[in-house]
Amino acid sequence: MKKVIALTNVFLKSSFSNYNSKMGIQTGSKKKLPKVLYFILILYLIAIFAFLSYNLIDGFIKIHQEKVFIGMILFGIIGFAAFQSIFSSINSLYFTKDSEFILPLPLKPYQIISARTIVLILLEYIIEFFIGFVPLVMYGYQTGSGILYYITMLIALILIPIFPILLVSTVIMIIMSFARFAKNKNRFQIIATILALILIIAISLASGSISGEMTNEQMAQMLMKANGMLELIKGYFPSLDFLVNALTSENIFVVAIEIIKTFLITGVAFGIYLFIANKIYLKGLVGNLFSGNSRKTKIRLKENDYKNSKLYKTYIGKEFKILARNPVFLMQCLAPAIFIPIIMIGIVYLQTNSIQKEGFQLLFSVINVNSIQIASIVLGIIEFFTMFIYISITAISRDGSNAVFIKYIPVSLYKQYIYKIVPNMIMSLFSIVITLIIAQIILKFNISVLIAIFAVSSLMSLFQSMLMIIIDLKRPKLEWDSEYAVVKQNFNLIFPVIIGLVNIGILALVTVFFKNLSIYISLGVLVLVFTLATYFANRYLYKNQEELARKIY
Amino acid sequence: MIEIKNVSKSYVKGKKSIDNLNLEIKNGEIFGFLGPNGAGKTTTIRMITGILDADEGEILIDGNNIKKNPLKAKKSFGFVPDSPDMFLKLKGIEYLNFMADIYDIDVQSRKNKIEELTKKFEIYENLNEQIQSYSHGMRQKIVICGALLSEPKNWILDEPMTGLDPKSSFDLKEMMRMHAKSGKTVFFSTHILEVAEKLCDRVGIINKGKLVFVGTFEALKEKFKENGSLEELFLEITEKG
Repeated sequence: MKKVIALTNVFLKSSFSNYNSKMGIQTGSKKKLPKVLYFILILYLIAIFAFLSYNLIDGFIKIHQEKVFIGMILFGIIGFAAFQSIFSSINSLYFTKDSEFILPLPLKPYQIISARTIVLILLEYIIEFFIGFVPLVMYGYQTGSGILYYITMLIALILIPIFPILLVSTVIMIIMSFARFAKNKNRFQIIATILALILIIAISLASGSISGEMTNEQMAQMLMKANGMLELIKGYFPSLDFLVNALTSENIFVVAIEIIKTFLITGVAFGIYLFIANKIYLKGLVGNLFSGNSRKTKIRLKENDYKNSKLYKTYIGKEFKILARNPVFLMQCLAPAIFIPIIMIGIVYLQTNSIQKEGFQLLFSVINVNSIQIASIVLGIIEFFTMFIYISITAISRDGSNAVFIKYIPVSLYKQYIYKIVPNMIMSLFSIVITLIIAQIILKFNISVLIAIFAVSSLMSLFQSMLMIIIDLKRPKLEWDSEYAVVKQNFNLIFPVIIGLVNIGILALVTVFFKNLSIYISLGVLVLVFTLATYFANRYLYKNQEELARKIY
Repeated sequence: MIEIKNVSKSYVKGKKSIDNLNLEIKNGEIFGFLGPNGAGKTTTIRMITGILDADEGEILIDGNNIKKNPLKAKKSFGFVPDSPDMFLKLKGIEYLNFMADIYDIDVQSRKNKIEELTKKFEIYENLNEQIQSYSHGMRQKIVICGALLSEPKNWILDEPMTGLDPKSSFDLKEMMRMHAKSGKTVFFSTHILEVAEKLCDRVGIINKGKLVFVGTFEALKEKFKENGSLEELFLEITEKG
């Protein structure tokens, strides 16, 4: 146990290895500023989650279905933990840089895996604070719950993410035990991630269907009953049902029994998990570390391999190659730009039944589609999609200790910053075009309005891309143990969300203040606002190019 | 030619990591930069290459101030950093083409130079593989090839022999000699005293940010006659410093 605790400590420290470790050159007053900023940002996030929860709970109380909120939140945490750990556990268990140093140490596989898994669970708790703790506290406040509720809530929040993380990690360990047969490690990592994703969805769908299909009459009856909607959430994960029962009950004995059941099932799951890990983890880890490396293709170079390109082409091409060939960056930086709009719009489309679709068509034929309100909604949706493109916000951090390269080559830093944000812009344009094509099919804008929306959204993305690289330069995370840390365990990633929300706020303001003016004037104002914003961001980047790179050394 | 004039650098206020450093590495010279771990070798090299700014003093490369005229100064040196783990997802040939594009090398020259360097270092056959699949030594070799591709006048090498096999190490030393013979400059840091002794025209020893000795190895031995081995000599200088 001592060794597990020691290892957990080390892994935790390397997970949180602060990008400020090289900030010793700063003076005391400068050091305090980021802490204040963090505090404000955290408060801001808490406020957002509390506000959203308040409105949702209020709505549920009005229809006497408030308990479904607890089910929704716990279900959300499980879903999030499962989805998140597909990426985090594959990286933390198999692709961290320290694995090669850990392997020769006299440690048993279960000790390594226990420590790694504990770290995964602890990191999950940070996100859980926002998506679980804040909403459930709001629920307690709005429903006037007693102390029993809050104690149960804390226990539930501690236990709930463990089961999905163990399940996902087991699936990943099984898949990765085939790593030694893989010829191409990168490709295998992508395939393993996608396979894990499919398997987890299949398992949860299968467990959901075990609870039985419901007829329309049954569903109607359920919705009529007070808190009947809660039944919709049950049946997916065993620990979910127990904890939902515990949190929605006021009987202390029921609560105690349900909590004990959760403890038992989590403990058994951990035991089975360690048993499997003891058998297959090291094989997979060794296979992954040392397979593929011996592969020597020895393909002779051809004449056209020595091609020269313009500097901007070669530089941007290099950025894209590194993004596309690294499975973590591919899944976290490039893929969202294409898949998020398609998946989100697809879900909305599939979830809307034919009567609602006809209703929407009728609505769009009656209202003026070419209005600033509709244009702002589309722009807001685009903004929402593009804020998840993490290329620019990690442009410097992705290079890790190799980031110093930009400082000793004979290319101006400003030029390099611009080359580094081009991939972000290109992927944003993908997102914009996909969303606008779908919007055009549904809404049928005037072509001139469509072009104006395209111009505003492109400018918005350009401004955001510039701001993001400035933030990454000011707070680079250059010391990381796996690529995953750059795109997930990186506080900077909060900034795209904040700036996205500010942009949406600007859209809302323009919509309110210019609602009686022509849409072209309103969109013109937006073009002007974002052109100016881009101009100032660009000017700042150019004027401070040397100063901005100070933390890279 | 590399000139370091009255250069100082502090990471923490009140504690100088480099203290009033003065050095001049002339054309046609191989200069070895020695010192214990944490003495300030890498910091000095980072300032010469423009990675770090000096707090005081100036650094000139072929007369170009690295701070005031960075692009011109950077064009005149090739730099091999201490860690060769660079652009691991690129293939060897892609990395070299990228470097050639940065230094504006035409197709024929880059082809000749890439073939010459990579054949010499025996990595030509591996150029179509991702650098990630290279061993530590091979990574070191590809980074050296990238730095020398543009035939820079000044070579700045941070621990270049680390990870190299004996043949490649021998070849690199030969290349350094040839480079200096043609009137150009080699500045490198090393821990290997024998390499410094056999290869360098002059050495500089830095300890706790201060230059404690500059001169030829013979002068060094003369100054500390009583010491038998190179290690003892090195220890005495750095411990006294």
